[in-house]
Amino acid sequence: MSLEVRDALVKRGAFALAADFETPAEGITVVFGPSGAGKSMLLATVAGLNRLERGVVRFNGRVLEDVAARTRIPAHNRGIGLVFQDARLFPHLTVKGNLHYAESRRPADRNAPIVTEIAKRLDLENLLDRPVKNLSGGEKSRVALARAIVSAPEFLLLDEPFAALDGRRRRGYLAMLRELSASEKLPMMVVTHQIDDAAELADHVIAVKGGQVVASGTASAVMRKEVFGGLLDRRDLGARVDGGAVVGGREVGGVWVRADNVLVATEPPKGLSARNVWEGRIASITREAGGGILVSIATGQGYISSRITDQALNELSLREGEKAWAVVKTHSL
Amino acid sequence: MRRIAPRDMVPAMLSPEELQILATSLNVAGRAVIFSLPVAIFCAWALSKHSFPGKAVLDAVVHLPLVLPPVLVGYLLLIVFGLRGPVGGWLKAAFNIQLAFTAEGASLATAVMAFPLMVRAIRLSFEATDRGLFDAAAVLRASPWDRFWSLALPLAWPGVLAGAVTAFAAGLGEFGAVITFASNVEGKTQTIPLAIYSVLQIPGGEAQAWRLATISMTAAVAGLVAAEVLQRWARRRLEG
Repeated sequence: MSLEVRDALVKRGAFALAADFETPAEGITVVFGPSGAGKSMLLATVAGLNRLERGVVRFNGRVLEDVAARTRIPAHNRGIGLVFQDARLFPHLTVKGNLHYAESRRPADRNAPIVTEIAKRLDLENLLDRPVKNLSGGEKSRVALARAIVSAPEFLLLDEPFAALDGRRRRGYLAMLRELSASEKLPMMVVTHQIDDAAELADHVIAVKGGQVVASGTASAVMRKEVFGGLLDRRDLGARVDGGAVVGGREVGGVWVRADNVLVATEPPKGLSARNVWEGRIASITREAGGGILVSIATGQGYISSRITDQALNELSLREGEKAWAVVKTHSL
Repeated sequence: MRRIAPRDMVPAMLSPEELQILATSLNVAGRAVIFSLPVAIFCAWALSKHSFPGKAVLDAVVHLPLVLPPVLVGYLLLIVFGLRGPVGGWLKAAFNIQLAFTAEGASLATAVMAFPLMVRAIRLSFEATDRGLFDAAAVLRASPWDRFWSLALPLAWPGVLAGAVTAFAAGLGEFGAVITFASNVEGKTQTIPLAIYSVLQIPGGEAQAWRLATISMTAAVAGLVAAEVLQRWARRRLEG
């Protein structure tokens, strides 16, 4: 069970996207990369809205598109849902009308929540009879998500679904996506350029940069400094800590820990308020072009990076292979 | 004093002949619009698409009546749909239908002349619809045919009505093609402009011509106002 994109090339105007990867059709795959990297184009291609110049797209063994074999299943027959960044609700219908549009086109053999059920789960009950033009950005996002789920796709693609949401609502939305993916057994592919969202959601990651899929694999394998370094701003550099970390009293899929928020200690820290202390060994010490020094510590759950100064490096006399403790302020997560 | 209901005012103001002329005009233009509307919607939809083979040809054919002299359109219709024409002869033989020199023929000539106006208005409405919505419908399993009925048409509907009303108002005034193909038969094919033409041939007919001109202008202005109202409604609807 997987989505397979092989030797694919898509063009749109002067922009071209090349992709070759496979990702399991389970859990959540995050498509990560800077703005303009081609992430949305990748989703549209999988959904069948862009035509391939060459290559093959397969889903669960079924060929969706194969240029050499002149096979192409149109978008409406793929069973792949797509939630657009701008929601794209139908303006001549109410919220309920939009949901019914999806429900009435769902094949009889596909199970999915009915309209009233999904409205309750996504807190849309009071909006059902409203025309869509009067909704706020966040409300539109929720209606678009509900509409996609009601249509019972086999795979759901989401393009920056939290763009219209801020801080706390965003956290809630991320948690809801994880819950929905698990409870509906609905695999998802989510585009984001926010490293925190990526770390929290991802079971698998596809990294895109400059029209190229540069890496793909499990979140813990791909979201390392070596692979991700080139995709991030200096201040975002860091490492992903796997599940088990507690943020705001809630266990999350993963957390992106910025190197600037990590302290290194050579002895077990005592009398600290920081809740999150990881023990490990120093895997590498690298000097950055900007003047800082990145210390990567291998812990039981993966790697964690810390950015320190020359002075600190000398005072602590850090060496590769030695024991070290990484201390992260919970507030920074 | 007896109160006059508005309903009685128009017949009271118009002579039986004028009523007959107005009825003929409304009938001819009305039928022209009703029967050509589905074809116009189809052409407008096709022309609003990005590209397909023969698009330029279809575009040219649709717009031809706009640039040809109306009398030539009437003559071409006579050649094709006249009793000795290929289509006209067949219609007469197979169904005993005659178009030339009949009210039905006047409707056909009016429809052909008003067709480009109708297609242009409807096409604008289709083109103003956000293309992204069709992608959104496609990933909800709506086929192209389904998308046309469930999205394109409902969203463009006010624009379609506006196009129809504009064509109707223009159709009321069609002259050259009608007089050539359907002739100027009182009570059958004599619409308002044809009647104006007739009375102007008679010495001292100016007063009568003025009365007919007033009817004509009233109908045209009412049509344009209605079309404008519909256009505004269309814009509001598409804003999303």
